[in-house]
Amino acid sequence: MEEKILNKSEIGKLFNDLKEEFIFYAPKKVKGNISFEKISDVNEIELEYLNSKVPPKDVIFPQKETIFEYHYEGKDVIVEERKDLEDKRLIFGIRPCDAYSFNLLEDFFASGDYQDDIFLKKRENTTLIGIGCNKPRQTCFCTSVGGHPYQKESVDVFLSDLGDKYLVETISDKGKELVNKLSWLADAKKEDMEKSKDLAKQAEDSFTTKFNFDLVTKVLDENFENPVWEEIAESCIGCSSCTFLCPTCTCFDVIDENDEYNNRGRRIRIWDTCQSCLYTLETSGHNPRPEKIQRCRNRIMHKFSYYPSNYDCLGCVGCGRCIIACPVNNELRLIIDKILEIENGEKANA
Amino acid sequence: MPNPYIPMLTKVKSIVSENKLRDIKTIELEFKKEEDYKNFDYLPGQFAEISIIGKGECPIGIASSPTEEGTIKFTIKKMGTVTSMFHRSDIGDIIGVRGPLGNGWPMEDMKGKNIVVIGGGFAFSTLRSLVLYVLDDKHRKDYGDLTVIYGNRDSGEVLYQDVLEDWEKRDDINVVLTIDREEEGWKRKVGFVAAIVKEVAPSPDNAVAIICGPPIMIRTAVDELVKIGWKDEQILNSLEMRMKCGIGKCGRCNIGNKYVCIDGPVFSLAELKKLPSEF
Repeated sequence: MEEKILNKSEIGKLFNDLKEEFIFYAPKKVKGNISFEKISDVNEIELEYLNSKVPPKDVIFPQKETIFEYHYEGKDVIVEERKDLEDKRLIFGIRPCDAYSFNLLEDFFASGDYQDDIFLKKRENTTLIGIGCNKPRQTCFCTSVGGHPYQKESVDVFLSDLGDKYLVETISDKGKELVNKLSWLADAKKEDMEKSKDLAKQAEDSFTTKFNFDLVTKVLDENFENPVWEEIAESCIGCSSCTFLCPTCTCFDVIDENDEYNNRGRRIRIWDTCQSCLYTLETSGHNPRPEKIQRCRNRIMHKFSYYPSNYDCLGCVGCGRCIIACPVNNELRLIIDKILEIENGEKANA
Repeated sequence: MPNPYIPMLTKVKSIVSENKLRDIKTIELEFKKEEDYKNFDYLPGQFAEISIIGKGECPIGIASSPTEEGTIKFTIKKMGTVTSMFHRSDIGDIIGVRGPLGNGWPMEDMKGKNIVVIGGGFAFSTLRSLVLYVLDDKHRKDYGDLTVIYGNRDSGEVLYQDVLEDWEKRDDINVVLTIDREEEGWKRKVGFVAAIVKEVAPSPDNAVAIICGPPIMIRTAVDELVKIGWKDEQILNSLEMRMKCGIGKCGRCNIGNKYVCIDGPVFSLAELKKLPSEF
């Protein structure tokens, strides 16, 4: 039988068996918030969590990372590529929405004529142990974007939280290899599988936030110019929390960090945001998106119109972080409502 | 495939100050590794991300033509931090180059057609590349008539005076130079580019117009072309946009669902009209 059981009391054992081979990441409470951190002691792992504040994409696409290092020898420059891209990483406890975001990021960074090896090599060497969501938040809406609180396709090993133990399902070859290392795992019983199915159904039924995104995309495609954008942008303060906490946002800036005294340094990339007016500001002073309305519109259009037209899927995984984070309550649910009102208004007028 | 974020290393071979204001220089680069030069297989209209490692990187159109063997050239206006550093660089300094990037002028599609090049001011660099490419012995027979209309504020701002003189002497290219106001000793045209386009009135039959310059020049010149029967599909533009990666990943050069760095920088007017006006 493929399915196994991991007792919660055995997490330490699992950690000990895997910590030598992998850099082990798991949810941890830091300054009152959950984030995915490198774990050195099993007691740091927090298992009672809904989701992390910052998405675990930062494990392989961190806020700031080295592109290459360099040093000068006289006038000559020696450029050194990174050697740590193939370090093996394991993310324990990733939620299905965030695991799905890894698929989107992978497709994005691999698309076109240029491969982003910095991301792709790390992704290739990262194993995901996901945990299904028994209690989706009110702000969660993964079922509206093609996801599910028990979606298993994006992880290597899938866990269902059955209370004092997890049902362990092997999903990929990578997952199989991993589970084989844990030969002490007990076999699951039929009732464990039944319970997992019930929990999945209960979770699915508990969603309160639901959208018809096919319609949203259609309305957006037809309404780049519409007074509703002014309304949507009005209360935005441009803080960029929505983009910095988004598991599918990929924009970055490139900066040289130079140590003048030692003639060395590194070129880094660092998260950037389309919500900042500096993002598109050109040296000449010209700015293609100088106004807040254009920047707010760009974020929504990118996720729900440009992404579907370029990749045939939404650029959103329904984690709801942008809804929680918005300090002025100008959140996605209200924005989507306003966009759909365009359609409803037209129908009423027709 | 090599990591596209790692620059190839080149050395500054020569520096030419191009204008009276001394804020435009053409820097000629020589690849340190022979194989890098071989791999740098480019077309007119493409660009590269060039950097002084430790100071920063920026996207610059390639001013040389692939027919000028051995080196590549970039014409750089002193504008911000990185371009100012380029202006301070010296012969032998190391410059990082990533590229060639972008789609470039459609040299293949333009075969058999008449080409009208309309340029204004500093935006002439990739047009220099294009004209040299077409005029090369290997390519000249592939293209029809070649007309170049190039306008500047005054005679001191005319770039590439050495090659322009050569072009004026040839009979397989019609070069029309213009400056905004009369100047003593200036024997060519006087007037804005749009007025000269009206005067020259290039025929749209089996032709492509390539326009680069300040936005107001582009608008007025396009208006003149449209009046004499040019279609949006025949008019090509090269866009500039803030960029970091140049390979479609850093995000900021999007216009709607297109990225200027990989889907452009060359777009036809017809293509641009389908996109949001965020450029």
